[in-house]
Amino acid sequence: MEPGMYAYRCTACGKLFHPARAVCRECGGREFEAVPLEGEGTLLTYTRVYALPEGYMKPWLGFGIVEFPNGVRVSGQMNTEDLAVGMKVRATVGTVKEGVGRDYYGFIFEKAAQA
Amino acid sequence: MRKVGIAGVGHTKFGRSEVSLVDMLALAALEALDDAGIRTGRRHGVDQVFVASMGAGILNRQSSVASALVDTLNLQPAMAETVENGPASGASAVKLGYMAIASGMCDVALVVGGELMRVVTGWEATDFVATMLHPDAEYAYGLTLPAFAGMFTRLYMDKYGVTEKDLAMVAVKNHEHAMHNPVAHIQLVPSFHAIIEDEDAPVINPYVAEPLRVYDVCPVSDGAAAVVLCAMDLADRFRKKPVRIAGIGQATDTHVVAEREVPTDLLAVRLAAQRAYAMAGLKPEDIDVAELHDAFTILEIAISEEAGLFPKGEGHLAVRRGETRVGGRIPINTSGGLKAKGHPLGATGVSQIVELVRQLRGEAGGRQVEGARHGLAVNFGGFGNNVVATILSKEE
Repeated sequence: MEPGMYAYRCTACGKLFHPARAVCRECGGREFEAVPLEGEGTLLTYTRVYALPEGYMKPWLGFGIVEFPNGVRVSGQMNTEDLAVGMKVRATVGTVKEGVGRDYYGFIFEKAAQA
Repeated sequence: MRKVGIAGVGHTKFGRSEVSLVDMLALAALEALDDAGIRTGRRHGVDQVFVASMGAGILNRQSSVASALVDTLNLQPAMAETVENGPASGASAVKLGYMAIASGMCDVALVVGGELMRVVTGWEATDFVATMLHPDAEYAYGLTLPAFAGMFTRLYMDKYGVTEKDLAMVAVKNHEHAMHNPVAHIQLVPSFHAIIEDEDAPVINPYVAEPLRVYDVCPVSDGAAAVVLCAMDLADRFRKKPVRIAGIGQATDTHVVAEREVPTDLLAVRLAAQRAYAMAGLKPEDIDVAELHDAFTILEIAISEEAGLFPKGEGHLAVRRGETRVGGRIPINTSGGLKAKGHPLGATGVSQIVELVRQLRGEAGGRQVEGARHGLAVNFGGFGNNVVATILSKEE
């Protein structure tokens, strides 16, 4: 199965969360429906980290916080060196960490194609 | 509620411990008990022990550390618990000690915070600290505390005009303060020119998490700190006049950093400080000295603003004017802060309180803030998702 990334919409008030929560912060609702998080978003801030934790065989890695058009903000890895606050990025899903017996997948953002 | 004070303080030399976690905790604890004038042995008079440790289970493969400390100090049958609240474990343990005495449940509580971190490699330590982040939405990506601090710094620079030089000024100031604190880990002052202006600055002071450099980040340290808390109505039992715990505030914020509505705000710091001021009946203007959680230089600036010491977005201007150094209007991190004194996670919140007690007693030597009456400590857990603020007042 191709992994997907989702926001979770409170079925009572419509508030979106990522990652999933047990209770809606706005209305206290407890039922949510999954909404795909995909396509383009805006890069709010970013960093390049040179001191990675155990398990990463790379000299450095880029990270960013991205806002999707529906207002959901997420953290992810950046798969481009050409970074600027406010730039458009495209969400892809890939392996963000290789574990023993299982890999972890998550957002890897790329520079969006020019309009 | 009974009033609660601090009758004794103890603190190991931060840096690299030659002894085990429990023996290191015991060193700080014995210094605090001696400072308070509490006898050890069968008639010790300690009712309750709290031990703050974030990583004993992960780093040292040891659990129930408080029970082990009671055994080493032979403080049986004192009540004992280990407290874990990330890097804010220390202030949380002091808060629990306060509650235990204020409630009337006990008279004397020993609170010890400590961490033995240098038993693992740097990347294992970085990984361990990152386990406090959201497991799926943050930790699994390889995100770390320095990564979030770097992204926060970039936003702060763009919004408020903070520069890398401002951050370097915070670092140099705190290293200068640490030169007067014999228990600080780093006992040298970096040259401002070398770490930020020199053409070799990128080599001397390379980026860790852009735009943060090595000299913007606290070192990895072993260390322990301890306080003896007592009911103020029993103050005359102790060797020195206790310093009163005037206010404690704590607040949480979203675990997931990306979700915060205004990403340059640290709402848990703001609320924790407001709650502490309200409990103490004091205002930010009343604070004479502050220990703020500068795990990253940007945090000293941002916390100083959220705690009301400066208007939002103007903390770096106060740094430029020299207001936050010893001798300035409101000295911050006179101990050297996490930056220069070191940041053994579970110890830090207790260490901040130890420094304030020394300041309010007039025992701070070359870093003494003259006439200090009220001190504020802010201990920052997670990336600001669980924060404890504590206000101490000198009893007249």
